[in-house]
Amino acid sequence: MRRLPVYLLLDTSGSMSGEPIEAVKNGVQVMISSLRQNPQAIETAFISVITFDSSAKQIIPLTDLASFQMVDLKATGVTALGDALKLVSNKIDTEVEKTTPEQKGDWKPLVFIMTDGIPTDNWQSGLAEFKKRKTAFVVACAAGAGADTNILKQITDNVVSLDTADSSSIAKFFQWVTASIGVSSTKVEDSGKEVQGLSELPPPPSELNIVV
Amino acid sequence: MSEIKQYIQTLLAQKNISVAKNRESIFEEFTKEEANIFAVNQIKDNQKMMLDKWVLKNRVSDIIDQQLIIPNATVGKPYEVYIDYSKAGMDDLAYTSFDDLGQFGLEYNEQLGTIKGIPTKSGEFKISMKFRVNGENEDSELNNKKVSLIINADPKSLWKNIPSDLDKDEIWKNVNYWKPDIDYDFKPLGDKHIVVASKRGRSHANVGSFRDDDFSFKHLEETGWSIVCVADGAGSASLSRLGSKLACEFVISYFEENFNSDIVTELDSLIKNRDQSQDDVKQKNLDLFIYNNLGKAAFFVHKGLQDYANKLERPLKDLHSTLIFALFKKYDFGYAILSFGVGDCPIGLVNKDLTEIQLMNWLDVGEFGGGTRFITMPEIFSSNKFPTRFGFKVVEDFSYLMLMTDGIYDPKFVVEANLEKIECWSAFLEDLHGDNESNIKVELIAKNENLPIQLSEWMDFWSSGNHDDRTLAIVF
Repeated sequence: MRRLPVYLLLDTSGSMSGEPIEAVKNGVQVMISSLRQNPQAIETAFISVITFDSSAKQIIPLTDLASFQMVDLKATGVTALGDALKLVSNKIDTEVEKTTPEQKGDWKPLVFIMTDGIPTDNWQSGLAEFKKRKTAFVVACAAGAGADTNILKQITDNVVSLDTADSSSIAKFFQWVTASIGVSSTKVEDSGKEVQGLSELPPPPSELNIVV
Repeated sequence: MSEIKQYIQTLLAQKNISVAKNRESIFEEFTKEEANIFAVNQIKDNQKMMLDKWVLKNRVSDIIDQQLIIPNATVGKPYEVYIDYSKAGMDDLAYTSFDDLGQFGLEYNEQLGTIKGIPTKSGEFKISMKFRVNGENEDSELNNKKVSLIINADPKSLWKNIPSDLDKDEIWKNVNYWKPDIDYDFKPLGDKHIVVASKRGRSHANVGSFRDDDFSFKHLEETGWSIVCVADGAGSASLSRLGSKLACEFVISYFEENFNSDIVTELDSLIKNRDQSQDDVKQKNLDLFIYNNLGKAAFFVHKGLQDYANKLERPLKDLHSTLIFALFKKYDFGYAILSFGVGDCPIGLVNKDLTEIQLMNWLDVGEFGGGTRFITMPEIFSSNKFPTRFGFKVVEDFSYLMLMTDGIYDPKFVVEANLEKIECWSAFLEDLHGDNESNIKVELIAKNENLPIQLSEWMDFWSSGNHDDRTLAIVF
């Protein structure tokens, strides 16, 4: 079976503590519950969560929706976004199957990044690694005014921003991520084609500003 | 110094009371009075009891706050998990019970620490774990911890089956190039028979959209050639249901019009001569003939689709479709089979005694999934791979010639390499003959009037993640 791998890269630096981190955790939980009701997503989508603060950690390896269980998130430390990009690159190498004559490969992975700050590490070297990997699309979300959309724009063309990193805006972002994963899993199952970019995804809600 | 004396001294010091030098002997006697010794010991016992109680209470709270993971269950799927308390850091549990599992069809075994059963109800639940930790009295009230239990719905129950023409009239059907959600046929084809069924996949049924697959077949009485076609419209193309239908029709009409007696006479003689000698030149002439004529047919289909798209004022890619077709004819020495393919649908030829498989075409598959090619892509004709898209085979006889879309091939063969393994085809045939979850038997014999219904029912097989349209044509 061809899996649709989805990587969530979530900022868990100290500035996210309190309402934002709770909203992120809740957002992931609501997302999983909702995707479980989608017959295509539950059979196709596999989710991994990578958090980054002073370093990056894959807290949930690529897991099918039926067995997925969210773990607690703690906000602490700085913003090692470069490390997260490096880690997700490694995980794509080891977790995403390529098509060969002997096996059916996975679909190209979807990557969602959410950060509220400016990277504190050498993010360019992480990005250089990440750029070598094939993805269906990458969406970066700048949560609140502290994030630098110019940096995110160098990671991907698909950048959205939230005016404030409050719980309702973060919830909206995850609702949109949910819809996007739903659309992608339907598309790969129906047409055997991956979604290529923002234009093929459901329109983001008004709380999400598209950064051009 | 005795413990008692030390205790009383500390107590006095805490209250800022000092014992004067001249009263030390009186104090010494005081600390030896039985009643005071008793009182100090009692205080110490009480303190210890209180400390122990607090430690226990603290421990219970720790356990209540700690995450205990119970693996997710699925409705209808036998479930048995061992709850690893020591992994969760709860080695000191003296007693545990889960009383409200019965309503979900599950049961807890305290001795084994397992939850077992067949879940009956889906949802995300908070269940109560009643427990006691080591050190608590056996008759003390049980502590209560809330634990998450996720029971997934049976994936089959999540799929809807909405007819593509629900509440629609004939005019709507015409305008929207509607085709039936299920189509099947069973007829003689030359001196063989063909059974074919084409079914809308669950992913389309779930949203009430159209079947994208199609098929066609025809026996050309005059020349003795029979044609079978299968096409799979690209799900991403808005008119792919029309593209696949037209592609199948155009193949038939090309051979009806162009496979005239002159051409067929030449082909017959090339095939017959080839059979008599293994001459390289003759083989080359035959290859060239196939390349020219089947290549023309393929291009005719491409051109026909282009013209149709122009007429509709739609881009050609709206009609994207894969296409495979095979032609066969009986000669006195056996059967000649020709084929063409673009896309990821295989044509397989199983020999008479079911011991060999000849895959007539190679499949367009990409490094990651979804790298297929369509008959609507002009670049396939200019590619240097184009000449390799044709197949030719002469056999004494064959048991089955099968054409299928990826809706069948993906779940049943999984990867391209398996299409060349006879054991995979044997398993596939056994599956058709009843070795399947639903015990549906497709009896592939000419006098079986129920054959198309059987094939259509067989096609409802469940395969997780494989819900594409399914089309299978079997010549036997």
